[in-house]
Amino acid sequence: MNDSPVVECTDVVRTYARGSTGRLFSRQPGTSVTAVDAVSMAVQRGELVGLAGPSGSGKSTLLHLLAALETPDSGHVQITGVDTTSMGERGRTAIRRDHVGIVFQRFHLLPSLTALQNVALPMIEQGKGKRSRRRRARSLLEDVGLGDRLSHRPAALSGGEQQRVAVARALGGNPDLVIADEPTGELDSTASEAVLDLLADVATDHAVVVASHDPMAIDRMDRVLRLRDGKLTNGQTQ
Amino acid sequence: MRGVSRLRAVTGIGLTQLRHHRTRTLLAIIGIALAVLSVTLLGGVGLGVVETGQEQFDASGRDLWVTGGPVQLAPGTVGGFENTVVDAHSVAASIDSRADVRAAVPMAYQTVYVSPTGDEWETIVGVGSGVGPAVEITNGTQFEHGDVHYANGTYTGPMTHEIIIDPRTAELLDVGVGDTIYVGGTISAARANQFEIVGVSPTFSRFLGTPSVTLHLSELQEVTGTTATDRASLITVSLHADASPETVASAIEAEYPEYTVRTNSEQLEATLERQAVLLASGGSLVVLGVLAGLTLTANLMVSVVYQQRQELAALKALGSRTSTLVGVVLIQALVLGVLGGIVGVAATLPLVELLNFAAATLVGFEDVVRTPQWLLGAGLAIAVPMSLVGSLLAGWQIALLSPEEGLQW
Repeated sequence: MNDSPVVECTDVVRTYARGSTGRLFSRQPGTSVTAVDAVSMAVQRGELVGLAGPSGSGKSTLLHLLAALETPDSGHVQITGVDTTSMGERGRTAIRRDHVGIVFQRFHLLPSLTALQNVALPMIEQGKGKRSRRRRARSLLEDVGLGDRLSHRPAALSGGEQQRVAVARALGGNPDLVIADEPTGELDSTASEAVLDLLADVATDHAVVVASHDPMAIDRMDRVLRLRDGKLTNGQTQ
Repeated sequence: MRGVSRLRAVTGIGLTQLRHHRTRTLLAIIGIALAVLSVTLLGGVGLGVVETGQEQFDASGRDLWVTGGPVQLAPGTVGGFENTVVDAHSVAASIDSRADVRAAVPMAYQTVYVSPTGDEWETIVGVGSGVGPAVEITNGTQFEHGDVHYANGTYTGPMTHEIIIDPRTAELLDVGVGDTIYVGGTISAARANQFEIVGVSPTFSRFLGTPSVTLHLSELQEVTGTTATDRASLITVSLHADASPETVASAIEAEYPEYTVRTNSEQLEATLERQAVLLASGGSLVVLGVLAGLTLTANLMVSVVYQQRQELAALKALGSRTSTLVGVVLIQALVLGVLGGIVGVAATLPLVELLNFAAATLVGFEDVVRTPQWLLGAGLAIAVPMSLVGSLLAGWQIALLSPEEGLQW
């Protein structure tokens, strides 16, 4: 295993204005809340890391920072050694496209597309031809156990199956880092178990970070980082 | 190669989206087709009115039109029209005597009561005029006699009691050549004046767009009680082939400054100017039709983006470019525009036939709606930019979508 972390953040702070309406001519002064407060952490390839904590503890904000969806107010985030902190939206989009896969709580599959088309969709940006995209999507769907559901639309799939399609989609660009936000939040226990098995498999050759409230999910993690009020409560890891 | 592959993929997704939402797609196509129809049909009506008017003027065999201003309705008077040319016979005779003029014919319009039996009456337009070769007789003959009742302004000559009716009047009264009808400005005057139908002609009703009867001017003046000032609505002038209409018009206007003399094209323009409000309304409807199509497309595309904003945000989070996602929307708009345009143009053709049939049946005008190929092309051409412009708002919304939104639900 390569020892250099896939994703690493150092003393990252992210503060949001709260209370301001954001409207022009608004007289209501905003207050600020620190969602992530001086967090440092790193995740290696082959690790399945959980982010746990109550609602409002900063899990989602930390995930956004790790996935280069946002930039910190201070501190640094590096993905595969590339500092994303000072990058613009376009640069971060490219980083996500090439290095990050994301699994959403509510799957977010396009209802008009089949499972195969949904998985192949993000690969358009990688310049792959149609055959190549379809071949890769088919292979990924077979890997997640949906080889017989290729032409099914999301409405014809169960929640667990949809989430497995979403995992396959996240892996389409062969990312180094997979981020999953409450991946079992919409699933029953059997489907949750299957998705967690799948993420554990994915973690054998990717770095995987899972934010979850689900104790069953947290129990399956190799390592758990607990957050409270934006701070890591079980120590920072490098 | 990479760009082509991306374009093909974007096109494929756009088409898949349209196929998946069939009802929405169908409604959008119908909406755009209606906008196209508003352009082609209203444009066709406008074009038809102008061209029909020009053809009617050309077919009239007249070169100049002498008027004292627009013919006004005069409610409460016998005849109902206020004709503005005074001493019409003598003015017409004076113009007729010019070397460059072939014929000058005074013409008046009055509303008259007509009845074949004297019991039930219809009010239709009576045309007081002589008839010439430009008047098409479809059944029977022209007037056998001249306007002898005028008798140099004394109105003491014999009444010929000849009348020519148009086919719709014939149908309305169920009469034909050889039958007699009562005609007068009042019912009592009509009961005293029985006319024999000598011919059937569609010529004047084509101009007027309404059923009409044609009799000698002096006899119309007699039965409507307007002999005192010898009034007419206008004097039509036919010129010799080598005469210039503009030159003769200037000369007549100099001699009769109280009258306006127009060439055929000027008379058509004046007619259209009097219908300016109607034409502006038609133009406004075309603009509104296009705006409605544009708004419909914008509404549809914005709805699609709103409905799928989480999925689109998720795709942005996964690294999809905004241009790719906007491309999917634009492809849908393009396809909707093309299909809506084709359906609109295809529907134009039978509807034009239907409208022309209705117009010919109701008002007697044929080919009122005309849709030359360039107008159909314009209808098709307007559909695509209309649809694309309508989708720009949706594209802008996609650009504003934050990728984090995919993680917020």
